[in-house]
Amino acid sequence: MNNLQLLVSGVALGIVYGLVAMGMVLIFRTVGVMNFAQGNFLMFSGYVCYQFNQKIGLPMAISMFITIIIMGLMGILFQKVAYWPLRNAPSKAIVVSTMGAAFVLQEGARIIWGAVPLSMDRLIPGSVKLGSSVLQGQYIAIIIVSAILMAFIYFLLEKTRIGSIMQATAQDQYMASLVGISVKKSVALTFFLSIAIAGIAGTLMTPIFFITTGVGTTSSVKAFAAIVIGGFGSIPGAIIGGIIVGLVEAFGGTYISSTYQLALIYVVLILVLIFRPQGLFGGKIQEKA
Amino acid sequence: MKNKLTKKNIVLIAVGVLIAALVLNIPYIATSNYMIRVVNMSMITYLVVLSVYVLLGMCGQNSFAQAGLWGVGAYVTANLTTKFEFSPIAATLVSILATALFAFIIGFALFRLREFYFTFSTIGLMVILNSLFLNWTPVTGGAMGFSGIPTYSLLGFKFRTEAEYFYLILGVIIIVSILMNILYKSSLGRSFMAIRDNELAANCLGINSLLTKSISFAISGALCGLAGALYASMSGYLSSSTFTYNQSTLYLVMIMLGGTISPAGALIGGVGITLLQELLRPLENYMLLIFGAGIMIMMIFQPEGILGGGKAFYAKLRKKQQSRIGTK
Repeated sequence: MNNLQLLVSGVALGIVYGLVAMGMVLIFRTVGVMNFAQGNFLMFSGYVCYQFNQKIGLPMAISMFITIIIMGLMGILFQKVAYWPLRNAPSKAIVVSTMGAAFVLQEGARIIWGAVPLSMDRLIPGSVKLGSSVLQGQYIAIIIVSAILMAFIYFLLEKTRIGSIMQATAQDQYMASLVGISVKKSVALTFFLSIAIAGIAGTLMTPIFFITTGVGTTSSVKAFAAIVIGGFGSIPGAIIGGIIVGLVEAFGGTYISSTYQLALIYVVLILVLIFRPQGLFGGKIQEKA
Repeated sequence: MKNKLTKKNIVLIAVGVLIAALVLNIPYIATSNYMIRVVNMSMITYLVVLSVYVLLGMCGQNSFAQAGLWGVGAYVTANLTTKFEFSPIAATLVSILATALFAFIIGFALFRLREFYFTFSTIGLMVILNSLFLNWTPVTGGAMGFSGIPTYSLLGFKFRTEAEYFYLILGVIIIVSILMNILYKSSLGRSFMAIRDNELAANCLGINSLLTKSISFAISGALCGLAGALYASMSGYLSSSTFTYNQSTLYLVMIMLGGTISPAGALIGGVGITLLQELLRPLENYMLLIFGAGIMIMMIFQPEGILGGGKAFYAKLRKKQQSRIGTK
């Protein structure tokens, strides 16, 4: 592995963690609660995509599309079950409820698809040769798809009416309801978007590795690191934080120690927190939270 | 008024004696050593969940590192007894102190961060500790695990069977519960709760919140150290796969299900859920699925946990009764 390869794979994996983190931040900003099941949604989307791709035999792009829609709908269901009945309860209760959902997803996947690691097709098979380095097609696909997705999310949140409605709900649910916004629909839309993003991340990442039920917890833990490094509650921060996590994982794993890879990420996190306690992009949101 | 109280007291004492008689006879009722082991494990779990209670229930700080601290206690005992020939009792005392000190120092560093930031840094602590347990082979046995930890001995009496361990751990948890009650009523306990309710106001009243929170982390570390030492010597074998982030999550779920309003919540959550998991063992394949769904349903109907729900129910019942009599 030379440096360019490490860079590309680090950035690609980092963007995936960043996407998971971004979904968490979207939910956090709207309802003020961390979703501990986000990584498990990523894992579950891998299995759903496997079902369409390997069992039914659809091409990867189509199965990805179907998977993302299904994950979005699961997000709405998740919101209905794990958040809406609890919206007036203490936030601790909602956190525990999302943890319960994480258990349900993980065990549900194991019961439906079994404990054996599964594999599926890649969006872009093969690899590209660039000088002495061999870049895998899937990594490039991840970077391109994620870039398009991020541009789309930015456009949606900043330039459209729907985005304004979602941001208004995120800032103050009560005030939003006073000016005639349907908070219920807005929250449901946020969950749809957030879980669909986790679905995209899952369908992009799982073809590189095998799909296992354990992927959920590890990606959640890395996404938490991304959120804190980037600054709590900031969407660009989540992406940058994710890329930093991915790079630390790729380079640290090769040059420092592969056994302490995960620990290394958190050493970096603690270092960031010591020198910049609010994270790289931390600002107003953090004070509000 | 006095009459009513004594009547109530008699009932309470009778129930207490009945429960005590039942609990003391568990080793005789149990049909197999395995069952006693499960009960022992549930009591150790109670100790760790109690440590979550001190931090979350009393002080309002959420930590995901409890399984890691539990592991620190266990590995300290394991190393002291096998490599430095400490007696298990001495090793237990050292690991309580060591884990408390470790937690205090880490707490002092991490409590500079607030709320969510602190919680995330404890996830980091947990991940770092777990990779140490898995990879620091000379001290933790690495992936092979740590075996050959001696059992307890007290004044020449050796604790060997599960039943003997049952009484030992029962004795320990009774002492700990009494200490916890003292803490709950002490001024330190009240400072914890002041920080939980409003940190700014607590600061204005002259409470050093950084120090107080670190102390609460140290107390919870001491409990984890004790639980770890008991676990190490009871099972005789340690594996890094026991002390994971998922395990920490489970402890948090236990305290939330039991209720965070008093230490009894830790008892209900810790012991209750460990035993329930064992009861659901025949459904092994679906156990965690049912468990997860159960957590969600439970939170929807009882967001304050079993204890909170029970208390509200009791208050409602009393209100009804009183209104029937006609007094307010």
